[in-house]
Amino acid sequence: MEYTREIYWNVGHGAATLVPMYLLSLAAVAILVTVFLQRIKVYKQGQTLNRTDQLPLRVTAMIKNVLLQSKVLNVRGPGVAHALFFWGFFVLFLGTCLIVLQADFTDLFFGVKFLKGSFYLFFSLILDIAGLISIIMLIGLLVRRYIVRPAGLDNKIDDIIMHGLLLAILITGFVIEGARMAVTEMGTPLAAWSPVGLWVAKALSSMGEPAVRGLHSNLWWLHLLMVIIFIAIIPFTKLRHIFTTSANYLFTDLGPKGLLLTIDMEDEDAESFGAAKITDMTWKDIFDADACTSCKRCQDRCPAWVTDKPLSPMKLVQQLGDIAFNDPSASLLETIEKDVLWACTTCRACQEICPANIEHVNKIIEMRRNLVLMEGEFPGEEVMTAMENTEVNGNPFGLAFASRGDWAEGLPVVTLGQSSDVDILYFVGCYASFDKRNQAIAKAFIQLCDAAGVKVGILGKEEKCCGEPMRKMGNEYLYQMLVSEMIEQIKGYGITQIVTTCPHCFNTLNKDYRDLGLEVEVSHYTDYLAALLEQGQLKLTPQSFDCTYHDSCYLGRYNDIYQAPRALLAAAGANLTEMEKHGAESFCCSAGGGRILADEKIGSRISEKRAQMAAETGAPTLISNCPFCLTMFEDGIKGAELDEKLKPKDLAEILVERLAE
Amino acid sequence: MKTLLVAEYRDGKLLGTSSELINFATQMGAESAMFLVGSESVLPNYAGKLYLADIGQAGEFNPSLHKQLLLDVIAKEQPQLVVLPHSSYGWDLAPRIAFALKAAQISEVVEIKDGNMVVPSCNSKLRRQVKATTNITVVTLQGGAFTPVDDPSGTPEVIKVEVTAGGDIQFSGYEAAEAGGVDLSKAEIIVSAGRGIGKPENLAIIENLAKALKGEYGASRPVVDAEWADQSRQVGTTGQTVTPKLYVACGISGAIQHLAGMKKSEFVLAINTDKDAPIGEIADVLAVADLKQLIPILTEKLNAL
Amino acid sequence: MKILVCIKQVPDMESKFKVNAAGNWYEETDLAWRMNEYDEYAVEQAVQLKQQVGEADLTVLCIGSDRVKETMKKALAMGCDRGVHILDTESHLKDPYAIAFLIAGYAKDKGFDLIFTGMQSQDRGSAQVGVLIAEMLGIPSLTTLVEFSYADGAINAKRELEGGIKAKVSCATPALVTCQLGLNTPRYPTLPNIMKAKKKELISTPVADLNPEVSLLEVLQVAPPEKKGGGLILEGDPADLADQLIKILKEKTTALA
Repeated sequence: MEYTREIYWNVGHGAATLVPMYLLSLAAVAILVTVFLQRIKVYKQGQTLNRTDQLPLRVTAMIKNVLLQSKVLNVRGPGVAHALFFWGFFVLFLGTCLIVLQADFTDLFFGVKFLKGSFYLFFSLILDIAGLISIIMLIGLLVRRYIVRPAGLDNKIDDIIMHGLLLAILITGFVIEGARMAVTEMGTPLAAWSPVGLWVAKALSSMGEPAVRGLHSNLWWLHLLMVIIFIAIIPFTKLRHIFTTSANYLFTDLGPKGLLLTIDMEDEDAESFGAAKITDMTWKDIFDADACTSCKRCQDRCPAWVTDKPLSPMKLVQQLGDIAFNDPSASLLETIEKDVLWACTTCRACQEICPANIEHVNKIIEMRRNLVLMEGEFPGEEVMTAMENTEVNGNPFGLAFASRGDWAEGLPVVTLGQSSDVDILYFVGCYASFDKRNQAIAKAFIQLCDAAGVKVGILGKEEKCCGEPMRKMGNEYLYQMLVSEMIEQIKGYGITQIVTTCPHCFNTLNKDYRDLGLEVEVSHYTDYLAALLEQGQLKLTPQSFDCTYHDSCYLGRYNDIYQAPRALLAAAGANLTEMEKHGAESFCCSAGGGRILADEKIGSRISEKRAQMAAETGAPTLISNCPFCLTMFEDGIKGAELDEKLKPKDLAEILVERLAE
Repeated sequence: MKTLLVAEYRDGKLLGTSSELINFATQMGAESAMFLVGSESVLPNYAGKLYLADIGQAGEFNPSLHKQLLLDVIAKEQPQLVVLPHSSYGWDLAPRIAFALKAAQISEVVEIKDGNMVVPSCNSKLRRQVKATTNITVVTLQGGAFTPVDDPSGTPEVIKVEVTAGGDIQFSGYEAAEAGGVDLSKAEIIVSAGRGIGKPENLAIIENLAKALKGEYGASRPVVDAEWADQSRQVGTTGQTVTPKLYVACGISGAIQHLAGMKKSEFVLAINTDKDAPIGEIADVLAVADLKQLIPILTEKLNAL
Repeated sequence: MKILVCIKQVPDMESKFKVNAAGNWYEETDLAWRMNEYDEYAVEQAVQLKQQVGEADLTVLCIGSDRVKETMKKALAMGCDRGVHILDTESHLKDPYAIAFLIAGYAKDKGFDLIFTGMQSQDRGSAQVGVLIAEMLGIPSLTTLVEFSYADGAINAKRELEGGIKAKVSCATPALVTCQLGLNTPRYPTLPNIMKAKKKELISTPVADLNPEVSLLEVLQVAPPEKKGGGLILEGDPADLADQLIKILKEKTTALA
């Protein structure tokens, strides 16, 4: 006997089954398509944005992310449960497709059956296991959602419908299988290949065949109806993420990471800048709201949210969706509170973790641009003062521009105005130029370069702020004024390599400046020195010491530079104890997004929170790679009253102490 | 040389600046007479002619009328110098007189050097020595620049000035300074606490010094962050930008945000255990000491003055 | 309503000041230029008044070299309608009287209802020009304002006195007011207004066309002040230190006066 089974057993394969089944299915698909078409109209209220270039790359990324669940799996626990459920349900979906394919197509028209023999045995086993895993995972997720209830997980009606319906579909599936097996497969060797079905069959067998058959046909129709409902409600509920999240992998930002749209300042017709209404956002910004699954991973990692500030990246994205669908003429800045927008440090933790590839940060910047460029508003007067200071003196402190290069006096470094015969231009940045604490970084870097035989030049008083904090605060105008001056200076000296000690300068010169014409290679000093170390040009004498290391947002998440600084630390003799939040999961120091210019008035201090995390490692030294971070930690460690236990240092300060004689 | 000193009365009280005017005249070696819109019940200690216009009739603030009264006295006295305090009263009235006399005016004199007036410029970063080309000159004196060592004595010879009503500006009373929240940006003396104070209880040491100096106390960001002091006390770019005449930084190392918020102070005294702390770069005087020892002694000595 | 606001371009006070070769003012290299802070409040108040009355024409006036036009553009971006630039490369040699004479000469037949100026400039700090203009034009002037309101040809304002006390004053227009820091919050120009400002009228008139008066003051010498403490580092016994500090405070500051 060949292993197989009768499809449409007990319900019949005639018109009485097929016509209602196919009509219902068609209706469900029709609803699905119609509603999505309506939603597409809503997306199209947004500005155009090309996210279908480089299609092969995009399609590959989508398939990888959907099938491998790579981004979902970045968080263990619920991530694994979701992935296993997805794989189980996906296998069941494929199995169902094969059954329909054989019964209503190949067998019906050509008399070809493939669900037979040993293939059928494995088919049965795999589907049974898939169903079982799906049920277990779903129950696990239900327990997490309704019994464990992690903080911040909001349960909406969508969630109970989704979970309930899926669980009912899976359970009825097994009962239908069990009922069929109780009548047709009990005692056959085939039964063992459907272990869950067999278990159900054994439970049902005492009912007697007529009752089992009755149960079977009723449940079969119920199961079908639930599947139909499932399909039809996809676009109305969070279930839509099956399509929208998958599509968002296709529409993903291909980089460079975190690049902002450069506003055309020459455009004389432009009357409005930044986003005031949802129609000022791009279609992708609206679509992102539909791709959001409320998984709250962004919120959990948002330094603003976890220090009791009003910003939740998740809620912000969803609010934009609400506006687009329900009140598209609403003022974004009235609906979304300003304190929400100002709270962002642009640390990118939300975007990096988002399993739906949602782009949170640019939305915030677009709205900030409107506040700053159209309303002249800032989070506080101190920020406006910093902007004015930068306009006058090229640094947010308002210190005399002419003294910008004073720190370099007596060091082996030339000012390009005097000689441009140098290997690299060191773009010092405001903090390392003016702040005595941070000048130690600049001086250390010069000494390291000198020891490695690298000739360093600086712009001195011709250098101005790179414009990063201004740009991130939304002041695109001031940013572009600074950029055009800086690019002109840099180009004038025919420089071929720029090195920065500030990751903010690095990211800005290396990415943002490209839009406005800078072509020179730009490196952060950690990368640059790691290369010198590897080439043997830089020689260090390791001295053992204990430390923990803070991945700055703009070196880590924005530029994926995690290894170079650790290689330098290793060469210096560091016994590194990582903080729980490190690498791509690092926790912001609070200074990004122009927040370095602003007073942190709401909630607790982000820098203190990070200082505590560092102190928990027990290491006496907190090493960073960014003047902003160092500044924040100097204050944060004192604020958290940890100054007896923990000292902040920049990596360059550690390295310079270990220069080989 | 002959000077006419213009003293100032406010809210029923004679202001102490009159002694500075007298001291200035003494330093110039000049003869003097005084003009005051005031009341006979409170007269300055001054051994000279006092032209007194009754404040009940002339009002405390009525610049065009005061100008006219003063011009009448100037016509009688024929001084070469008309001297006013560089105060809200003085700098308002002085140019009115100067224009009426087509006289040169020298504002905010801090010093007399070789018989010439020295005035500050550019936030006291420069000083200018100037000379009038007119026969009569109006000068205003910087507060505190001519404080006499000993208070003047004597009883003035009062000459009443006839007052006729007039004036194009109506004055309708004073509004008291706002109570409650401190506005450090207007404070003339600030004593600030940094993390170097060690523990919150030590803030009292700083407060006491501020009181002894008749100033306000401030704090650096870490002190405010640790909630040892109220946010309104924070000095720095993320707090208040201050421009006092004297800033005493106690246990403040001098992070850039702090320095940027107080760098416009006229005189900075830093008290710190670390000789190399960045605050030393902008401090006029750095006392290397443990503030917990030094400040109580300093406060005691100040209170004993 | 016709409004005039007079502004000055000054070096940022953080700049390193050096005395110029002539020894009569500062050297201009390495200075960063900005609008006199007091004048920012004046411009803001003038713009607010224009917005309040609706029908108003707001002129901004500035004396100086071509360099000052940058600062005038900021005033235009903040909301002034037109700019009047008195081109004078030697304006730093004029005393308050000569400067006020130029402005009054310009304003005398223009029928301004209100003239705003800063209470003083950050570099000279003489606090004379505003009042002198008003005296020359024969109109009332209110100085050192920290509150301002206007209705039906009358100004109600508060002057700031020493110690945070305020004096309530009023007068009828036409009048001149001088603005103290804190009068308002000067706006940050919006981008569309910066763009519009580039197209606004900004006419330069050579100073010679305005019959300048000679200055009444002569500058004999400009020099940095003698070092106050000069980065003095004191060490030693706390009691001795306290005595030394009190001595220094007495000599170098007015704190113990």
